[in-house]
Amino acid sequence: MAINIRMRAKVVNGEAEVKALIKHEMESGARMNKKTGKPFPAKYINTVEVLVNGTKAVDSQWSGAVSTNPYMGVIIKANAGDDVTINLADNTGDKGTETIKLK
Amino acid sequence: MKRRSFLKGTLATGVAAVAVNAGLLTPSTVLAEWNAKAFGAKSIDDALNAAYGSASAADSADIKLKAPAIAENGAVTPITVDATGLSGVESISIIASKNPMPLVCEYTFGAAATGYVSTRIKMGETQNVIAIAKVGGKLLKAQQEVKVTIGGCGG
Repeated sequence: MAINIRMRAKVVNGEAEVKALIKHEMESGARMNKKTGKPFPAKYINTVEVLVNGTKAVDSQWSGAVSTNPYMGVIIKANAGDDVTINLADNTGDKGTETIKLK
Repeated sequence: MKRRSFLKGTLATGVAAVAVNAGLLTPSTVLAEWNAKAFGAKSIDDALNAAYGSASAADSADIKLKAPAIAENGAVTPITVDATGLSGVESISIIASKNPMPLVCEYTFGAAATGYVSTRIKMGETQNVIAIAKVGGKLLKAQQEVKVTIGGCGG
């Protein structure tokens, strides 16, 4: 199942703050299901990368302690017309990708 | 007790954890391999050793850690780490000192990135948030206490 990503970015003086909102439950694997007495199985995004025109700018790894529906903000060096891509995957193999063109 | 044994069974540090996590993870061809040892570590030192090969970090005023003094909801604690005052920031990590597994996230920067990260993390109780930045092969840190009134890891 594809993971939904919403991304915004605006270029100011050769730098762009990329803001992304990701829809994901981020289940850490430590939270108990009181009905069954067993923990909810872990399901969280663990690898995230930001690419500028296909070149890796940010390579990130997360644990289950990142909040539900994560927000990520990073600043990249980029100009108008550049393509910014976010690729991510969770520990169960679900993936998400989103590309925008900077204005 | 159950929770404790579950954590030991699945997320203990060392060879067993690597094997278990490798089994849970579906290998990805595009994305870098997840550092199971660093994220499974129970102490800050173990996590830093696994992530950076060193646990000694010097305090630095150039790392600006923005975190709320009081987090009303620990499940969504906004954290911003701004190390753009330093040049050549290779990596930034965020650590929640009293979380069961302290390392929350780790960002590695390429040439087209600056040393800035903004995110939201879960915190179970009042504790210190530590930002680690790797600059020129050395580790620098900044920390701030965040009071949590409602925990974010319970259930």
